[in-house]
Amino acid sequence: MYATADMLLTSPAPAAPEQSHETAIEVVLVKAVLEGDRDGFTRLYDLYAPLVHGILLARVPRAEVDDLVQDIFLHAYKKLHTLRESSSFGPWIAMIARNRAVDFHRRKHETVEINDELRGSNTQDSRATEILELIRNLPEAYRETLVLRLVEGMTGPEIAGRTGLTAASVRVNLHRGMKLLREQLGFMEGL
Amino acid sequence: MNDDYLWDKTGEPDPQVQELEEILGTLRYQRKPLQIPNELRVPQRRNYFPWLAIAAGVLLAILAGGIWLSTRSRGDAPQRQAEVLSPAPVKEVTPSVPKTPERKNESPEEMVAVHKHRPRSSTPVLSKQEHEEALMAKEQVMLALRLTTEKLSLVHKKTQNAYPANQIKNQHRVG
Repeated sequence: MYATADMLLTSPAPAAPEQSHETAIEVVLVKAVLEGDRDGFTRLYDLYAPLVHGILLARVPRAEVDDLVQDIFLHAYKKLHTLRESSSFGPWIAMIARNRAVDFHRRKHETVEINDELRGSNTQDSRATEILELIRNLPEAYRETLVLRLVEGMTGPEIAGRTGLTAASVRVNLHRGMKLLREQLGFMEGL
Repeated sequence: MNDDYLWDKTGEPDPQVQELEEILGTLRYQRKPLQIPNELRVPQRRNYFPWLAIAAGVLLAILAGGIWLSTRSRGDAPQRQAEVLSPAPVKEVTPSVPKTPERKNESPEEMVAVHKHRPRSSTPVLSKQEHEEALMAKEQVMLALRLTTEKLSLVHKKTQNAYPANQIKNQHRVG
């Protein structure tokens, strides 16, 4: 039996201890980049590229994701001086990624057909693409959290810390999204 | 079933979640170096607050100075006038009601003195009580200005400190 949403909301897990440390690092890195340190931005890229990748993967065709990740970080580099709070780099770049995904669909790119080449040659890759499509068909609130958890391998506290969402929200989204995904996948027999 | 594993990978592993992690892990981000063009530069942050604070301070100082000068000139006007007119034994000049016809008999020196120090017609002569009230008002303005300066410097100090971590609260929906 699953925990109810109320239970989840009343007993949020404590925030990961490394989260505040990570926030302190990003504050230092943002300051360094603003003072002209390019390597600092490379470190920010290393820290946050999985987040941006996951956000895009939940929204745009897989073939477009890598290029968009690069574009988004270059845009963030140019606009870094507009970031008011250095500690909010994660939520800020997550928002840029979401907006860029919306722009992508607004420009009406041709839909990329999932052919065998894109699906991958092996069965596991093909299965992964199918499951990803299922996740993309879930309500928007659950897509991103599930992709960050199941594809990028982040924990709930990490997702909360990097996206700026509260831990309780992430936990509820994970729980409800996973429940819907299980239904879609036909995993209900074990419940 | 507890979903601790789904949440933070602790507790009893959920086999279905593990299977999904294994399958979907093939789509995980593969690091690619970020190519930042050499000509690309990060513009410096523009912090307008100190300049705004300075401008506001200067403006307030000018305003305070104007008020103070205005109050002082009102207070001093009758005294100065009395000093200037005292050598004239007979003539009694009231600034609010100038007696133009009598001035025909004034000596040129007196006329110069009167014209030089004649208060503006719009400036009323203050009584002693009004003068004291004006001084009190001036003190209050000065006090308010001092308070404003203190508050401005406090705000300035606060803005110089690090900002707390941003948390978007109560947001279940994304986007």
